[in-house]
Amino acid sequence: MLNLMFLIICLIIAGMGISLLLKMQRLKELEKRAEALNASLEEMDEQAKLIIRTDIELNKTQEELDKKITGLSTLQKLSREISTTLEENQIFKKIGKSYLEELGFEKSSAFLWDNLTREFHLYLNIGYNETESLKIRDTVNENKDYYLDLMHGGKTASSVFIPEGFLSKEKICHLFQANEFIICPITPQEGNQGFIFVGTQNIETRITEGEREIITILANQIGQTLDNARLFEKTWRSQQELEIKVEERTHQLSEALEELKRISKRKSDFISSVSHELRTPLTSIKGYAAILLAGKLGALPDEIKERLAKINRHSDELVHMVNDLLDISRIESGKVNMNIETLELAPIVEKVADLLSEQLKTKNITFNMQIPEDCNKIMVDRSQIERVFINLLGNALKFTPEKGSISVNAHCSNKLIQVDIKDSGFGIPQEAQEKIFEEFYRVDNTINQEVKGTGLGLTLVKHIVEAHRGRIWVTSKLGEGSTFSFTLNCIE
Amino acid sequence: MNVSFGFSQTRDHIRATNEAVGQAIIGLGNMHADLAIIFTTIEFTHPLVLKIANNLLGEIPILGCSSLGIITNKGIFKHGFAILLIGLNRQMFFNVASVKDVNKKTALLAGRELGEKLLYGYRNVRRNLSIIFSDGLINEGTSLINGLQENLGRSFPLIGGLASDNFTFQKTFQYFNKELLSESCCGVLFGGGINFGLGIKHGWKPLGKMRCANKSQGNIINEIDGRTAVKLYEDYLAKDTLELAEELRRISIFYPLGIYLPGEKEYLLRNIISIKDDGSLVTQGDIPQDSKIRLMIGTKESCLNATADSCEEAEKNLIGQKAKFVMVLDSASRFSLLGRQSLKELEIIKDTFGEETPLIGIYTYGELAPLQSISYLGYSHFHNQSISILAVGGQ
Repeated sequence: MLNLMFLIICLIIAGMGISLLLKMQRLKELEKRAEALNASLEEMDEQAKLIIRTDIELNKTQEELDKKITGLSTLQKLSREISTTLEENQIFKKIGKSYLEELGFEKSSAFLWDNLTREFHLYLNIGYNETESLKIRDTVNENKDYYLDLMHGGKTASSVFIPEGFLSKEKICHLFQANEFIICPITPQEGNQGFIFVGTQNIETRITEGEREIITILANQIGQTLDNARLFEKTWRSQQELEIKVEERTHQLSEALEELKRISKRKSDFISSVSHELRTPLTSIKGYAAILLAGKLGALPDEIKERLAKINRHSDELVHMVNDLLDISRIESGKVNMNIETLELAPIVEKVADLLSEQLKTKNITFNMQIPEDCNKIMVDRSQIERVFINLLGNALKFTPEKGSISVNAHCSNKLIQVDIKDSGFGIPQEAQEKIFEEFYRVDNTINQEVKGTGLGLTLVKHIVEAHRGRIWVTSKLGEGSTFSFTLNCIE
Repeated sequence: MNVSFGFSQTRDHIRATNEAVGQAIIGLGNMHADLAIIFTTIEFTHPLVLKIANNLLGEIPILGCSSLGIITNKGIFKHGFAILLIGLNRQMFFNVASVKDVNKKTALLAGRELGEKLLYGYRNVRRNLSIIFSDGLINEGTSLINGLQENLGRSFPLIGGLASDNFTFQKTFQYFNKELLSESCCGVLFGGGINFGLGIKHGWKPLGKMRCANKSQGNIINEIDGRTAVKLYEDYLAKDTLELAEELRRISIFYPLGIYLPGEKEYLLRNIISIKDDGSLVTQGDIPQDSKIRLMIGTKESCLNATADSCEEAEKNLIGQKAKFVMVLDSASRFSLLGRQSLKELEIIKDTFGEETPLIGIYTYGELAPLQSISYLGYSHFHNQSISILAVGGQ
């Protein structure tokens, strides 16, 4: 019985031992599992750290990107507004509070340096009342050398970077009542330079490189627009000055022209009255000379006859001259009634040539005329235009030596007919060519001393051509002859 | 219930107030208004606008606060004056109250005082909902809630927001009738059967091992897992204390701490405000000693998903009723994180409740709300980085 009990006790102990062993084994397994779980928890925690570190960088990049996108889009809108402004004072007014807020700031001031007063003037004020802005302006001017250095150095100061030698971050923060800020120089190429301040009181904000770049671009844009505005103002002022000068000159010229007209009229009136006064005694002289020459008062000796013939001839010349003067004066004063009609050019030239045919023959001068069919019709006053040809052909005849040639050619273009009267005469010196149309001008040479003339023929011709709204000029070379050209209106 | 909304973003403060209040009054037509909720952005001349609003509204009680931005169904505005006029049905009941000098009195006592004042006249009336607007710079949000709930009870949700400024953390304003307050707290207690839906979410997910805040007091954590608290961030972010301090606001928004609450699905978020010289972390809101905490991670996407979830939850709670108005109490940190995508968040809310439903909201420095509204467990919490959406139906 005892043995049986002992056996049972042994079995129970053995069972308990086995159970203990099994439990210990299970505990070990659980410990191992807990260790593994702990290890994987630690592992996961390490992974969590990695995730956070990556996430923080990612967020930073994204924030910067977001800021850049917002900043650039605002900058684009702002640039568009600014660049269309051409008034210096209006440029800064375009930078409104809403744009500034979009850029992440709520305070801004802009100053431009005035070289004359040697101080900074405030052009932009956002986020400050009048007292605050005046205080800022005065303090900036007290420390103007710092700001001038910054401006001339083209450096940007910000709450994250203060250039060497500039005011401390604390001083700027205190003055502009901001926690974070950017101060950027405005540097137009010409005129007064300055700087712009932007800032925020938001303690969340940290100035980034992107924001610094955007404000620098904005400052450059302001600088360029200032240049444009100043250039525009300069150009506008010059134009205004020019306009005033032109107006003054025009006024002076008009007065001079009026004076000239008055003088010219007085001259014409004088010539006209003098000519009239001369013609009456001339007619008497010529009449008496003719009576004496005709022997109506008795026969005269040959010597007296000869002298009387001279008186008669010179009187004719004088009458001719007086008539020319009267004609010029009449044309100048517009007193001549032009009887404009459509005529053919060729018959007029032929008629004049016919009048001069005897002299042409005497001097053995060849006369040619080439007037094409298609530029034959002209609109002129017959008697006046005949005088033009008589004068020009007469002159050609006078100055062309024996066996020479004279030609009349015509050609048309743009409803104008150009007539060229060419001779193979002695030619006109260059310096005299511009003057020969002036009254009483005669070229000073030996030929002119031989060939007689009043010095009024070409003046009369010029007046007649101009009265027909034409133009007259001469081309000539000494020894090679001259070509007198004039234009008239033609019918195509 | 009659609701009318007015908003102006005019820069002239007097004109803005006249415009917004005028719109709201005209919008009401012949209906009456019992309560005005006013939100303004921080740069307004607050005494002036409150005086004008009072003159225009007569005896209508005013409740409200300042914010860094105003949320409306027309958009999000960094400058603006918004007003919501509410006319309640006969069966509905409400009481407004305020408490001053929160920090001086301690948040707990101030909470108790406000709770007591709000309860005035509530004998035998069923309480439904309390909305609180507090100064954004108070130290103990959790104590304030505890004090409030001690007196108000836990049978109904308490929601609210901490007024904000332009991230300068200098001064925020609260409006209570004719009084312009700071370092104060004001609120309204609704009762008698107001129908509302509530959604609260943040969207941040836990990452890494569960840790223990084994030495903490109020909103200061000294040690985590037996090591100086700042080591947690140094390890995870591979940055030294100085680098962390420089980027603390950003880091805190992306990677706040999450407190694990037994029985709750969501973690309670805590932003890090500063790092003390001894390596302790100062949080926005308290972290009880021995709390289980984890590092949290959030993205814009998760943030927007949380908004959608929050809207869905609020809509579900309305049980098929159309919202008369929607109030949004959105964390200022979310506004920072979302940036331009804040408008997407607004679109999500509008898509849920309809384009024309009056919408009024602010950005807050902390939110008061339960962790969930469907299985409400009787506790409201002090949140960071969350969005609370309150959709109010009729009766």
